[in-house]
Amino acid sequence: MDDVVQHFAGPPDWLWYILAYFFLAGLSGGSYVLATLLRFRDGPGDEAMARIGYYIAFPPMLAAPILLALDLGRPWLFWHMLVNTTPGRPGLNFAYWSPMSVGSWALVVFGAITTVSFAAALVRDGKLRLPLVTRVDGRAFNVVGSVFGLFIAGYTGVLLSVSNQPVWSDTWALGGLFLASGLAGSAALMLLLTRYRPEARQSAGMLSVSERLYTLLELVLILVFAATLFAAGTQGQVFGVPWLALWLVVLAGLVPGLYGLATRGVTVDGAAALRHSPAVPLLVLAGVLALRAAVIFSVQV
Amino acid sequence: MPHITPGQAYGFFTDTSVCIGCKACEVACKQWNQLEGNEPSFLDGFDNTGRLDAENWRHVQFHDDVPDQTTTDGNGTAWLLMSDVCKHCRQASCMEVCPTNAIIRTEFDSVFIQPDVCNGCRNCIAACPYDVIGVNHTTGIAQKCTLCYDRLQSDMTPACAKACPTESITFGPVEELRTMAAKRLETLHAQGVTQAGLYGHDEKVYGGLNAFFLLMDRPEKYGLPDERNAVLPSRNNAGGYLTAAVTAVLGVLGGLIALGRRKEKVSEVESDG
Amino acid sequence: MTNHWRDIRHADLILVNGANPAEAHPVGFRWLMRAKLDRGAKIIHADPRFTRTSAVADTYVRIRTGTDVAYFGGLINYVLQNNLHHDEYVRWATNAGFVVKEGYAFDDGMFSGFDQEQGVYNTKLWAYETDDDGHARIDLDHPRSVLNLMRAHYRRYDPDTVARITGVPRDQFLQVARQVGEMGRPDKVMTIVYAVGLTHHTTGVQLIRSAALLQLLLGNMGRPGGGMNAERGHANIQGNTDHAISWDILPGYLRIPAPGQRDIAAYLDESASVKQHPRAVNFFGENYRRYLVSLLKAWYGDAATKDNEFAFHHLPKPAANASWISIFDQALRGRMQGVILSGMTATSIGPDSNQVLQALSNLKWLCVMDPFATTSSEFWQAPGMDPATIQTEVFMLPATHWIEKDGSFTNSGRWAQWKDQVLPPEGEARHDHWILAELFLRVRDLYETQGGKFPDPVRQLDLPYRNPRKPELDEIAQEINGRDLRTGRRLSTFVDLNDDGTTSAGDWIYTGHYPEEGNLTKRRDGVQDPAANDPTGMGHYPNWAWSWPANRRVLYNRASADENGRPWDPERPGIAWQDGAWVGDVPDYPVDTGPGPDAPLPFIMTGEGVGRLFSNAVADGPFPEHYEPVESPVVNLLHPEVSTTPVAFRYDERAGRPNRFGTVADYPYVATSYRLTEHEHYVTQNVEHLVQLQPEAFVEVPAALAREKGIRTGDRVRVSSRRGKLEVRAVVTSRLGPLDIDGQRVYQIGIPIHWGFVGINTGQHWLANALTPFVGDASARTPEYKSFLVNLEKI
Ligand SMILES: Nc1nc2c(c(=O)[nH]1)N[C@H]1C(S)=C(S)[C@@H](COP(=O)(O)OP(=O)(O)OC[C@H]3O[C@@H](n4cnc5c(=O)[nH]c(N)nc54)[C@H](O)[C@@H]3O)O[C@H]1N2
Ligand SMILES: Nc1nc2c(c(=O)[nH]1)N[C@H]1C(S)=C(S)[C@@H](COP(=O)(O)OP(=O)(O)OC[C@H]3O[C@@H](n4cnc5c(=O)[nH]c(N)nc54)[C@H](O)[C@@H]3O)O[C@H]1N2
Ligand code: SF4
Ligand code: SF4
Ligand code: SF4
Ligand code: SF4
Ligand code: SF4
Ligand SMILES: [Mo]
Repeated sequence: MDDVVQHFAGPPDWLWYILAYFFLAGLSGGSYVLATLLRFRDGPGDEAMARIGYYIAFPPMLAAPILLALDLGRPWLFWHMLVNTTPGRPGLNFAYWSPMSVGSWALVVFGAITTVSFAAALVRDGKLRLPLVTRVDGRAFNVVGSVFGLFIAGYTGVLLSVSNQPVWSDTWALGGLFLASGLAGSAALMLLLTRYRPEARQSAGMLSVSERLYTLLELVLILVFAATLFAAGTQGQVFGVPWLALWLVVLAGLVPGLYGLATRGVTVDGAAALRHSPAVPLLVLAGVLALRAAVIFSVQV
Repeated sequence: MPHITPGQAYGFFTDTSVCIGCKACEVACKQWNQLEGNEPSFLDGFDNTGRLDAENWRHVQFHDDVPDQTTTDGNGTAWLLMSDVCKHCRQASCMEVCPTNAIIRTEFDSVFIQPDVCNGCRNCIAACPYDVIGVNHTTGIAQKCTLCYDRLQSDMTPACAKACPTESITFGPVEELRTMAAKRLETLHAQGVTQAGLYGHDEKVYGGLNAFFLLMDRPEKYGLPDERNAVLPSRNNAGGYLTAAVTAVLGVLGGLIALGRRKEKVSEVESDG
Repeated sequence: MTNHWRDIRHADLILVNGANPAEAHPVGFRWLMRAKLDRGAKIIHADPRFTRTSAVADTYVRIRTGTDVAYFGGLINYVLQNNLHHDEYVRWATNAGFVVKEGYAFDDGMFSGFDQEQGVYNTKLWAYETDDDGHARIDLDHPRSVLNLMRAHYRRYDPDTVARITGVPRDQFLQVARQVGEMGRPDKVMTIVYAVGLTHHTTGVQLIRSAALLQLLLGNMGRPGGGMNAERGHANIQGNTDHAISWDILPGYLRIPAPGQRDIAAYLDESASVKQHPRAVNFFGENYRRYLVSLLKAWYGDAATKDNEFAFHHLPKPAANASWISIFDQALRGRMQGVILSGMTATSIGPDSNQVLQALSNLKWLCVMDPFATTSSEFWQAPGMDPATIQTEVFMLPATHWIEKDGSFTNSGRWAQWKDQVLPPEGEARHDHWILAELFLRVRDLYETQGGKFPDPVRQLDLPYRNPRKPELDEIAQEINGRDLRTGRRLSTFVDLNDDGTTSAGDWIYTGHYPEEGNLTKRRDGVQDPAANDPTGMGHYPNWAWSWPANRRVLYNRASADENGRPWDPERPGIAWQDGAWVGDVPDYPVDTGPGPDAPLPFIMTGEGVGRLFSNAVADGPFPEHYEPVESPVVNLLHPEVSTTPVAFRYDERAGRPNRFGTVADYPYVATSYRLTEHEHYVTQNVEHLVQLQPEAFVEVPAALAREKGIRTGDRVRVSSRRGKLEVRAVVTSRLGPLDIDGQRVYQIGIPIHWGFVGINTGQHWLANALTPFVGDASARTPEYKSFLVNLEKI
């Protein structure tokens, strides 16, 4: 078969730590972006909902470096990602063509940004006295943060593609796909957490509309992803058993959003969004996880 | 051989038509580089090493295509024997993705992983199209053929080439090796061994492999991507980021659309409440 | 080897039969590859299996094990039928024209002169017609000339018959024959490379001779790039043989004395060749006495005098054969008290290891000298043995490994090369020669103090070493070289050896390797400067180490030039007569004797002065004849009544033990056993890196047969012979395939030998020799490791 792409590369064994990181990065980046959008809109409940977003964005950025370090063969040398220790060639490492290198720096920056926005949220909620941060955490700051948020949620897919692995390197859709599912997942998570912050409820409707749209976007990108693999002839590896099971979870995770889109289109119905059980957003999140699991594991085990 | 001089490109010409699968190269490499090797395990009787990894920087492949005939031509065409190794690519995928700069190009134009710089992220493994690199389970770092960097520095031929009894592995300045290979190919073709072909001797594969091969079958047969498939990881940067960017834009738009539909519904929520 | 490793690169055609050099001699194999790469030589590998040698050969020929006499016989016939032999060479340098005495006959597989109850031939009947002074009658056209008898003998080996015996189809055999036929031309030369794939048969000696005959006919003996080249075994097995490790000779290939030989004269009568041609030099025969006397002087020193026949009576005159199998046969018969094994592990090397284990259990004591525990030192706890029932007392004497001592290795090309000690001895390990010296001195003390039967051979043995308890190998090397006892100076050539007790030499063929100038085996003038070190350009490197005899690199090299001393092929000269002197290699000829019609004949060692196409020096026939292996799937096509050789030595039968041979009815498949690159017999089971390369015992199964039995690579199979079984993995491959033997489908199964119950991976305890038959070749008594019958089942 001449049209089949040849692959002989061996697996890097990026498994559970990486899966966890990819999942968290998606949610952290996604919720920061949504939070910022809400803060800009600034309707009733929006600021409250925004803060939920900023709260969510922070913890994953604490976990991320730890997960990544743990995945290294030599965890204590994680800082070599940033600093060149080659004898006689001191300096910082930055290779724009290597997503892992770019990503490392992005993590540092976004980590700092989420920390500030998190602290600011606390201050604004009166849980912390540190007026300074609120001054830093201005709109411009949030916009910049969102840009990094979008990057963090998406670059993980690009990182996989920039390799010679079957599937990963046969597609250019992974970055977008991970970003879309990250956004959808973040929306779902924020909706879930409104349960603990009633004053945010008024934004629920908007959020669920955005979730529907992101779900649609994700679906489209899944199709694009599949198409590119068929072109390369490697579809069998991701969509074959046992991975099919994971893909079913992914699709299940799309159902609420698509159903909403089908029944209500883009009309807001916050009440509906809030009425249904926590199982629904959890299902969506499960889908976000399953997507990454399917992509990561099917290639390596 | 004249002295091994820094500044010149050195490598291997591996001629599979004279390889006898004796594995002297495999063992010599382990001896010199003090590699323990993996737990003994039976794979197919002749190749019980399986693949290149952190413990095997040379690996002799066996592909048994011997036809069931009472007489058979040999010349390396029926039972394919090939000693595989890091290709020391002129355009090295592993080097391209390494975030720590652990992978450098030495004064001998070889591709070398600095053990004390590598932090074991394994990005290079995802990148190497030849499945050359492995992680050492005790030190946690990525390892592969060093082209005997230490030996070259003291003007010694790499251990594997030194040990090879049939000169299937020839070490030397890449330019000389290329001329030698071309001659060898001619002779073989003249002798009617038409299957013989060179791989990696020119720019068509990763700008040229400093460790290149004379093969008796299609490259794929030996686990080597053909010219069309010998591509660098960075090729996917543009496409990948672009899709991500478009998605980002759509994402923000989506957000704005959602935000766009405002007031009318708000009341509804209230009345509901 | 008549030639040497490096010389192989001069060949145009290389026949590899019964050898797998790529795996068993990978380093020497480089020279076959050089011949191929540098001069486009062709390699034809005839083997039951397609091996790593076949992989790079030009042509692989699948042959049924044990049938090479038919293969070479067919080639001989092809050459003779088409008059492709080197006529001038054959007339001048072989006994083709010698007329064989009336009475020699060959009918239905039997040569004349068979003694029924002894089961041996009276070889004296295979003689020449002679005139009054004992010279043979020569007449090429005589109906009983060697050449005419040979034509008649091999006429039966026509291509169809060859195909029906060997399994090599007619046209494919003829393709080989055509290439071989070319090699009779003076400007062409072929070498034949062989090893134990020919020797490990009850017809071993004849298998090899059949190839030698072909080489003589084609005029390839004595020529660079030609010859008969045996790839030897262990790094120093050639040295072992030269110094009489084997039972039938004294050092330097002097015959072992026989019962009834009361004095040297009687011994010479039966041992030394006699001059059978006026122009024969008969060098060996003429000097036999000198070499024997010098040997006796080396052993018994002053106790060896003219008046006591130089202590000839001290030498054993064994009535019984003392070959490897014979020793264990004696043990089985309960006639052996104890055995010392040194550098050899009886249990593993077989044949018929179950019977060997029995033999070891019959011993009072067993002493193993070895750096490692072996399957012999541990035999009493072999799987299936019950230690409680074994009374044999086992002594383990840790010996130094060869890497822990200096000394010389003599390689296949007869080059004696000195090596240094690489590692200091470990722990309590002692050098073999120290252990033996100690043992000997203690035994001698016992004789001195307690007396005993016939003590003189022990009491009078001369140990002229600084410290007799710890002789240095350097001292022993000097002793082997020999001295002029009048001056005490070491000799530089065996030509100076005398038979009057004025010289000594521990092994005459080594005289000259350690002259007064020093130890020549240490010389290393090699490729670092070819111009200076290889003056002839023929790769002899005369100042690299030292090769016996006389540092000659190619034996019989007089035959590399024609009667007038002109090389057959000026491109590849051996020696040449140029303005009054021989130039080139060290001539295998009287140095200052010129060539010409009246000059001495070329083969100076034989009584005939020429190479022997017909010979009575072998026990099983003057012309090689095809006989089936003792266990064979078919009866002999040429003479069904005499299917196997009548003189093969069947130990169990002779000893009255129950038969242990199987038949094709119960054991339908042919098996052959052999080596893999990755291991050196059994000792490398102690080497981690090599055990990783070849961790588990396996057998190679033909794909076609595997399909019938539903066997896949990696499956466990049971391979069993009448004598024992293996339960190991299968490697399924078309490299072994079915053969069509006279219309019968015959499968061959491959059995690597390397595993046992001692070493790193003791899970792999199966002994290949559990399967092999306890039977030996008539002349050499070499076991038939290479063809026997087995059954194969999937487990
Ligand atoms: N790697 C390695 N090298 C070794 C050794 C070792 O153990 N390991 N041992 C050394 C020793 S002691 C020796 S004696 C040599 C032996 O060297 P070889 O004789 O080359 O070794 P074998 O593998 O025993 O047999 C050679 C070939 O003979 C084939 N054969 C069997 N029967 C026949 C027959 O009837 N006709 C023909 N034409 N071929 C036949 C077998 O299939 C096998 O491929 O190797 C030496 N070198
Ligand atoms: N079925 C079958 N059986 C065979 C063969 C076959 O082809 N098929 N081949 C036969 C042949 S040709 C051979 S040569 C034999 C080989 O059989 P062996 O010679 O028994 O095999 P090795 O493992 O080489 O044994 C050598 C032993 O010598 C020891 N040793 C090494 N150096 C020294 C030293 O300096 N001093 C002492 N004392 N010991 C030392 C090693 O530790 C090792 O135990 O097998 C024979 N058996
Ligand atoms: S073969 Fe693989 S490891 Fe070697 S240089 Fe090329 S990409 Fe790097
Ligand atoms: S594992 Fe080491 S060498 Fe490989 S990419 Fe990571 S840091 Fe570079
Ligand atoms: S060059 Fe050195 S490191 Fe590389 S394979 Fe050969 S021996 Fe091993
Ligand atoms: S040493 Fe040479 S001949 Fe032997 S396996 Fe390696 S490359 Fe092939
Ligand atoms: S093991 Fe030693 S003797 Fe045997 S081939 Fe290798 S170098 Fe030669
Ligand atoms: Mo041997």
